[in-house]
Amino acid sequence: MDRETLRKLEMLNQLSLTDEQKDEVTAFFAKRDAELEIINRIDTENVERMVHVMPIMTVVREDTVNQPFTREALQQGAPETDEGYWCVPRVME
Amino acid sequence: MKIYNAKNEAASGKLVVADDMLLTKDMPTTAGSKMLEGYMSLFDAEALTRLYAAGYGLCGKASVGEFAIDLVGETAFDGENERDGKLVYAPAESIKNGEAIAAVCLDVNGSVRRGAAQSGLVSIKPTYGTVSRYGTIPVACSGETVSVLAANAKDCREILDVISGHDDKDGTSLSDDLCKKLKKDADRAEIKKVAFFKEMTDGLDEAVIDKMNAFRAKLSENGIEVCEIEDGVIAASRVAWNILMSAELCNNVSRYDGVKYGYRTENFNNLDTLYTNSRTEAFGDLLKTAILFGSETLSTDNYMKVYDKALRTRRVIADAFSKIFEEYDAVLLPACSKMAYTPSDVKEDKYISYHENFYTAPASITGLPAVVAEGVQLVGRAFSENALLDLIEKEEK
Repeated sequence: MDRETLRKLEMLNQLSLTDEQKDEVTAFFAKRDAELEIINRIDTENVERMVHVMPIMTVVREDTVNQPFTREALQQGAPETDEGYWCVPRVME
Repeated sequence: MKIYNAKNEAASGKLVVADDMLLTKDMPTTAGSKMLEGYMSLFDAEALTRLYAAGYGLCGKASVGEFAIDLVGETAFDGENERDGKLVYAPAESIKNGEAIAAVCLDVNGSVRRGAAQSGLVSIKPTYGTVSRYGTIPVACSGETVSVLAANAKDCREILDVISGHDDKDGTSLSDDLCKKLKKDADRAEIKKVAFFKEMTDGLDEAVIDKMNAFRAKLSENGIEVCEIEDGVIAASRVAWNILMSAELCNNVSRYDGVKYGYRTENFNNLDTLYTNSRTEAFGDLLKTAILFGSETLSTDNYMKVYDKALRTRRVIADAFSKIFEEYDAVLLPACSKMAYTPSDVKEDKYISYHENFYTAPASITGLPAVVAEGVQLVGRAFSENALLDLIEKEEK
């Protein structure tokens, strides 16, 4: 993991690491790369991916309202609201 | 330890404690993260709703490590989990001090099972899809399971019976018909033959080896055959699970941005710095690394060679278990490499939970049930929870 790739990952995930954290994460990735050998030794040719551990299909149900919440209730944990809207900084510079 | 106490009216009847991964509408839910400090849910987790309906009360909530991916809760931002130089598992404390008969916890990366083993308690991680995950903080949705921790197998079963069953609100909850079809007689079959992987006990502390040997001896005394077999691909579970868990975690925690709820930084001048500084200030080191790992795993360059490979490996591991269960009724594994962790274990290796889950990942990645008792773990066929608990009850006598 080079610093440029790590920088891109940080940006993509909206995180900012200190230099010390970058060193730790780089060491973690190096170990991970070595460990990949363990699964690379397993033959998965012609093996299907297992996304669900149980034979479940996409579940559909009637589109009915069953637990309505008020706008006030939904916004009770918001860091900042104004007249029923969530507040964020100006998006247009 | 316990971080929130329930109001008096909730704390009536037989009491249980919930870990802080389960949503509660009258107490905050933080998932052990500063990101959710003070967060109040609008509804209760389904498992708790079912317990209330059955007459149980909630005495409070126990702290949990940040998004439950650590060893036994040591990364919690709001809980003390150290005593006499050792790490203690908070939900277990409420049971041991008599406040609750059981704990209902989300097993994401094995902390419930490690906590049970190190506290001398019993835990049951049920078959994936048999207990609703509705109202739990999502982390690694394809493998995490609401689990029960208690002083003995009987109490575990009592609580598991109440919280099990189909729930329309959880898309991964198995329908009663499908359960019946898949179950066959797995829940009634008696455990007569147990497999044991010698290779997976390498590097264990002597105290854990003693527990394993004592349990094996007890099984033999009760007429249960214990056979040593090759671990085959099972030992690769940890590597594959770490990939899948981190990838799912990365997606699940992307919702925390400091806008709609949760922590918001005071240090921002545009939307980007609001997102970045909120997440950077609120998330701990282990979680940040897990996010970056998961994100890298899902990147264009790695998707096929890492994430896709892990999904295919999962099937190979599940098939290997099926093969083992053609001959054996359960697999005996340790739950952890030592009987107590110290703060220095984590200080020396911040990512220790990514190694220590070697013993818990096989059941996590396959969704198989696992019971922990007397410091060891038994993984059984899908839907064999009752058979596993029957065996433990027999051993307890």
